[in-house]
Parts: sequence; structure tokens; C-alpha cells
Amino acid sequence: MIEYPLLFLAGLAGSWHCVGMCGGFACVLGSDRTGAVPMLVRQLLYNLGRLTTYAFIGGVVGHLAAGLCVAEPGMPPTAAAQRVLAVASGLLLIVIGLQFLGWIRGSARPLGLTYAAPTLTRALRDILRTPGPAAPLAFGALNGFLPCPLVYAIAAQAMGSGSAVAGMLTMLVFGLGTFPAMLLVGGVGSRLRAAINAGSWGRHSVEAAGALILLLGLITLTRGVVLLDTHRHLL
Amino acid sequence: MSSAADTACSHCHLPIRGFGHDRRVRGEERRFCCYGCCLAFQVAHGEGEESEAAWLLVRLGVGAFLAMNIMLFSLLLYSGTLGDGDAEIIVMVHVILWALATACMLVLGSPLFREAGRAALRGRLTAASLISLGAGAAYAYSALAVMAGGDEVYFDTATMLLVLYTLGRLLEASGRARAMRDLAPMLEAERERVTLLDGAVERQCLARDVAAGMHVLVRPGERIAVDGVVVDGSSWTDEAVITGENRPVAKAHGSIVLAGSINHAGSLVVRATGAGTATRWARISASVRAALSRPGEVQRLADRIAGAFVPAVLLLAALAAVWWAQHMPLDDALLIGLAVLVVACPCGVGLAGALATTLGIGRLARRGCLVRGGQIVELLAAVRAVAFDKTGTVTLGTATVTSVITDGTVTEEVLRRAAGVERASEHPLARAVVNAAAERGIDAPLARQAAAVPGRGIRGDADGLAVLVGSPEWLAAEGYRMPAVLGRRQREAASGGDTLIHVGWAGIVRAAVTVGEALRPEAPVVVDGLRRLGLHTVLLTGDRQESAARIAHRLGVDGWEASLSPEAKNQSLGRLRARFGPVAMVGDGINDGPVLAGADVGIAVGTATDLARETADFVLPESGLGLLPWTIRLSRAVRRTILTNLAWAFGYNAIGLALAVSGHLQPLFAAALMAGSSLLVVLNSLRLERFPEPEHAADLATTETAGYGAGPRTAPRLAG
Repeated sequence: MIEYPLLFLAGLAGSWHCVGMCGGFACVLGSDRTGAVPMLVRQLLYNLGRLTTYAFIGGVVGHLAAGLCVAEPGMPPTAAAQRVLAVASGLLLIVIGLQFLGWIRGSARPLGLTYAAPTLTRALRDILRTPGPAAPLAFGALNGFLPCPLVYAIAAQAMGSGSAVAGMLTMLVFGLGTFPAMLLVGGVGSRLRAAINAGSWGRHSVEAAGALILLLGLITLTRGVVLLDTHRHLL
Repeated sequence: MSSAADTACSHCHLPIRGFGHDRRVRGEERRFCCYGCCLAFQVAHGEGEESEAAWLLVRLGVGAFLAMNIMLFSLLLYSGTLGDGDAEIIVMVHVILWALATACMLVLGSPLFREAGRAALRGRLTAASLISLGAGAAYAYSALAVMAGGDEVYFDTATMLLVLYTLGRLLEASGRARAMRDLAPMLEAERERVTLLDGAVERQCLARDVAAGMHVLVRPGERIAVDGVVVDGSSWTDEAVITGENRPVAKAHGSIVLAGSINHAGSLVVRATGAGTATRWARISASVRAALSRPGEVQRLADRIAGAFVPAVLLLAALAAVWWAQHMPLDDALLIGLAVLVVACPCGVGLAGALATTLGIGRLARRGCLVRGGQIVELLAAVRAVAFDKTGTVTLGTATVTSVITDGTVTEEVLRRAAGVERASEHPLARAVVNAAAERGIDAPLARQAAAVPGRGIRGDADGLAVLVGSPEWLAAEGYRMPAVLGRRQREAASGGDTLIHVGWAGIVRAAVTVGEALRPEAPVVVDGLRRLGLHTVLLTGDRQESAARIAHRLGVDGWEASLSPEAKNQSLGRLRARFGPVAMVGDGINDGPVLAGADVGIAVGTATDLARETADFVLPESGLGLLPWTIRLSRAVRRTILTNLAWAFGYNAIGLALAVSGHLQPLFAAALMAGSSLLVVLNSLRLERFPEPEHAADLATTETAGYGAGPRTAPRLAG
């Protein structure tokens, strides 16, 4: 339960990194539309799509991870299995957090995506130029699948959460953390983005995100090693 | 243009067999081999804001969004978060799910339903039929359940199925197009865009519209689209696709360039010497297209199986559902039926051979090696013995003088007289002597009253002297005396086994001239390479025993036969086939027509005419004999790939169906498996792109394996 606020903060901090990667898209989606309200609607739809994808990823990862460790289908994972999951997830988070902080090197290419990524990005480019409300929604949904280390980190946390619903919530809370920044950037435009990327603000926020992820990892690891609670409740 | 062009998919260029998809894209009627290619083509070629491509992706994105939300809500239901007292909320969630699912079915399902419907009207069942049926059934069942107040709904299954299927086909089609991207320019040879120079003005046109005399600008990295002469610029070009050689060739003002070669370094302005449609490159393109439309035996069998596949799976799904319904609630039994329906993937079976064969044909064509069809690639892989014709195939086709041994007379004088006499003869040996004189710059006036004695030699009048040039036996029979010093020198020098001619006048043999057939330098290396591949090599020739023995010895073949008529050669091939298996015959394609036809694979070397007029199944470029071991290795790699693809496709389907029928597979998992399975076939076939290029045989020639005196092995003569 401690994790949820931390996740939100991680989302907030890491969202400036998101701005660098996906802010461009948000800008295009927000630009040259008539009026502020349609623009806001487009931004909301985009982020709705994105959040759905995140929640989905979290749910699937949580479900699969939990499903690997159950005695019977339909039952929650055993205590021992939960601890193993937590340990694995915690270690993964620590590694990714350290990579964010720049203390260890990461791999340049996420595995197996060299093949699908060009197709996906070309697809995204095309959608960008399509009018209508469906486009931002579709774009957001597909955008959420773009390889992003921040998302991977939170997905790792979702993996250790022990159930599909918890995993879903994990990613959702994180996504909500990124919401304000993306909305802001989409609305205010490219000048702000350039300023963020140029200044040290971006770097610091990435480091902050890394630190938060590291913290999350330590907490999760501890939960696995030292049994804090045997049965995770949703609320 | 042959109709073969019409049966190739516009996106991945693989041949369309059976039922294709027709779609109008950008005003042009296009045919595709499958739904995935249809999607991927539109994605790749869509332009502008309102393009169909973008709409397609928007549909996929929206469909994914809807399906994901359905999953999330379903997760809430499954996880039991809502207790039994929240029945109203559950019903509300069900209705929400129903609404979302309806939207998703409309968005993603409608194109699939349309395709399935169209196929059904033509009496065919395709993979789209399976998916439509599965998703539709799940949706309908769940909708009924909501209306009847039941508590199990499967909207998540239905919608995820659609998303996974669409995505899977799209990715697979992208992969296929990527595999074909090297082959695509070859197939589009005549529609390539060409920059014409009209004075100083640049103009774009298609390759087939270029006529002789036009000036074409070729930038670095572009492919030269016409045969021509360089009038400006200098560069290096890669002519591998015509000559088979991978070495860059320098081009400057006045150099001849070939259509199909790639310009590497600098810009060139080329004056076309012929029409854009009349180049060898255009003919290669046509023959590759034709080859692609002729699948191999394995592929044809796979296609027949794939055709019967879908109805069989439908039946199996129905039977499984009915059987399980006797042992468990109807809900679960239907789910099992759905899993059976969904896990089957006929696409992999159909794709298994086609992609690998196409890549193989493309790799071969890139080095100027042309096959008649996919059948030939399969046969090349299965060949166990290779027979070579002699003259022109393993030899350079001309005899050359290898040495002149005299009794003290000056060589020039000997050659002058001999050549003067031999000019009157058309015999290869005579031409060798004439050439030898010409090479040394000796002027040999034509002898008068030249008279040839068939099988013996020729007699003529040079400088008033009667000169005889012919076999040693003949001169001896004419009473010519051989000086002792000549006899001694001859014994020392002429042990290489070349043909011996004596030249004499005034009753004395003056010189012994040895004439040999020059072996192609790469020939012994090729034979060695083939032997290392486990093939039995044989030399078949109509020439005399002695010359055959000599050449066979130098080549290092396992056996040889001489003095064969074409019928006898065919009989030899038959014996080889009975003893070893499929036989390939290598000849020059012009004189060996019937013999090449008698082999399982007839291979012609160096004919510059197009494949359609040959009886050869496989044509190597001009100096491309050295590529033969590589083509065998490549064909074997293609066959291995086809077999592993088929093993995967069948194995996956068998295991998947077994798991599904026995109730161990959830429909969602089945859908994910199905989406990914044919991707693996594509990825496995893509490995053929990394098959190593041939090392040029001449590069491999060392003093031990090449040239004359190839070791103490004596080639055994084949028993009759």
C-alpha cells in the first residue's frame, strides 16, 4: 500500500522523461485544432488511450506472474510464491532504477522489438495526421506500447504485485502521475518542451524518477525477503 | 507480360495461390495473397490525412482500446472483487461490456466478416472464416447470456481474438515484405523510375519507356536501368546480377554498362544502346517472376493440405464441443470448441515453402543464376551426382598450342609453314596452330593446294615446299623420318598427355607441336567442391578417349566416359540415376539440348539467351561455373528451411489442436499462439537472407587444386 503514492510520484517525476519521448506526439495532437475545448478533448482522449494501455499491461503482467505461481487456478498465489515474485520484481526495479540514475549501463535495445518498432512508429506517424476523435484515442492506445524503460520498471512492479487487479492498479496510478505533465505539454506546446529538454530540469526529474524507482524496488524486495503481509488486499 | 505477374501479391510479391484478396488502393486494383498483406500494403502506401492506411491503424488502435477496456472490466469481474451482493453492479458491468464489445466487433470485425462472406460465396473457407466464426459465436453467446441474465460472458475473448488476429496478420505481412525487399526491385524492373537527361533538363520516366539514344542519369546507389555506354562521369559498378561476379568494375567515359548493375561511387550519364525492355535485366526479371509462379512439389502438397485444413478444423471444433458438452457445462464445452477453432493456423502451412523458395530464387538471381521454378531448387538440393560435358563447359572451348619442340629449326619458321597450311582447315587443332602463330606475330601466308586427309592431317604447299601437318602415325606412314634429337626432346616434354602433331617437310619431321585444351581455371575447384558436398562427379563427352582421360585426370572427377553420342550420354545419365539418385548435367545449353533435358536438372553455363528458349532448368552466368557448389549449398539450405517450417507449422497445429481438443487451452491463449505461429515461419525463412555469399572459385584456386597436374589420382574409367 505504501507503493501507490510512490508510484504516483514516480509518474510525476518520470513524466518529464515521457515528455521528451512522447511529448512531440502530444504537441502535434494538440496543435492546429480549432479552439481550446476540442484541443482539450483530443488531449484527454489521447491520455485515456494511453492509460488504458498501461492498465492493460499491468493487468496482463500481474495476471501472468500470479498465474505462474498458483497451486490451483482461481486461487491467489501462495505466500511463498508471492515472496519469490516480490524478490524478482524488486531486483528488476532496482536494476532499472540504477540505470536511470546512470550508475549502471543499460542495454540499448529492448529485446525483440527491433522488428515491430519501425512498423509501430510508422503507424503512429500516419495516425497523427488523421482528423476526428478516434485518432487520438487510437494513437494513445498504440503509443502506450512503445518501448519505454519507465514503463518497463512499473510493469516489473506490477509483476510483483501478486494479482491482475493489483497490477492494473499499479500501472494506472503511475499513468495518472504522468497525466498532468502530458496534458500540460500538449496544451502549452513545443516551447515548453524545448525548454524542458534543454534545461537541467529534465535531467533532474529523470534522476528523481530513478531514485523513486530504486526506492520502490527496495521496498518490494524487502517485502519479499521479510514477509510483511501474507495476503494482499486491494484496498 | 505473362500472367504470372498477376498472380503475385502486390505487397509481399509471393505468388497468390487459391483465393486472394482484391482491394482498390489509390485508384489501382491490387491483389493480395492474404488479409495481412492487404493491411500492410495500405499502411505502407497510404498517403495524406484521409488515407485508408491511417484509418486502418486508427481502427486497430480503437479496437485495441475497446478490447483492453473490456479485459480490464472483465478482470474486475473475474477477480471476485465485487461480492455476491453486488448483483446489480455485475449486470451493469455486463451491459457496459456488451456495448464496448459491439463497438469493437463493428470496428475490427466487419472487414473480416466481409472477407469471410465473400469467400463463402465462392465456396471457400479461409482463416478469416475461422476467426469470424469464433469471435461471432463468442459474442453472440455472451450477448444472449446478458439478455438472459446469465453470469458468464466472454466478450473479452471475442474482442481480443479480433485484435490479436489483425495484429498478427499485419506483423507477419510486414515481415514478409521485409524479406522480399531485396527481390522486389528485380520484379519491378520495367517499372523502375529512371532519370532522363534532355539536354540539361531532368525528367522522370519508367524504365520500359527508354529508347536507344536517350541519356540516362544514374546517381550513386541507384541501379542502372538500361544497357548503354558511359558518356560522362566515372564510377564503380556491381554487375553481380548479370555476370555472377561480386567484384566492382570500374566505369569511365566509353565503358559499357549493363542494365541491372548497381552504380556505387559517382554519378554516371549513360547513353542507352537499346530499349529499356530489351535488356538481359528485363529478361531476368521476367524469368524470376515466372519462376516464382511455379512452386515446387512440396509447396503444392502443402497448399492442398492447407485447403482441406479449415473445413477439417471446423468439424473438429464442432465435434469437440459436442463431446465435451456431455461431460461439463455447455459454457465450458463451447469454450473448448472455440479454442480449437482459434488455435489452428493454416497460414503457416501455406507460407512454409513459399517464402523460403522465393528467397532462394531471389538469392540465386542476384548472382545471375536463373532457375525455371521452385521445383528446380528442390531438385538441386536432392541431386546426388553431377555429370559434366567437356568441350565448352569445363574447357574454354578452344584448343591451344602448349609447346613447340623442334629438331633445331627455328620455331617461327615451323609455325609459319604449319599455320600457312592449317589455315585451310576448320579443325580445332588447326585453329590452335593458326592462333599460336598469330599470337607470336608471325605472318603465315596461306599455303597453296592444301588438301586435308580426314583423321590424319593436312598437306599443303608453302614456299614451294610440300609441308605435312598431322598425326605422328600419318607422317611416319608417309615415310617421314624423325630425327633422334627430336625424338628425345619429345619424350621428355610431351608427357602431359596433350595431343601431339608433327610438322614436317622434305621428308623429315621438323617439329612436334603439343596442343591441349585449356581447362577453365575454376573447373577443378568446382569438382572438388562438389565432391566435398558428397556428390559423385562424372565427365561425359563425345570426344576421343585420350583427350577425355587427360581432362578427367586434371579435373579430378570420379569417373569419365568418352566417344558418346547424345543417346549414349542419356543412357549414362540413366545409369548414374539408378546408381546414385537424381542427376544434374552441366553443359553449354546450345549443343546439349536433349542431354540436358534427360537429366533431372539440366544446367547450362554461360548462355546469354533467355531461359525460355533453353531446355536447361538452371542457367549459370557466363563465367559462373564456379558458383555451382554455392548454388547446391543454397538449395540445400532452402530445403532445410522449408522442412523446418513445415515441421513447425504442422507440429504447432498438431500440438495446439491436441491441447485444445483435450481441454487444456484457453481461447485467449490459443489466439495469442495463433497470431505468433506464422511469425516464426517468417523469421525462420528470413535467416536465408544471411546465407553467406559465394567465394569466387578462382579466388580459392591454389596450386594444389587448380590447373594441370592435379595430383597422382588417375580417374577410373566407368565400366560400360
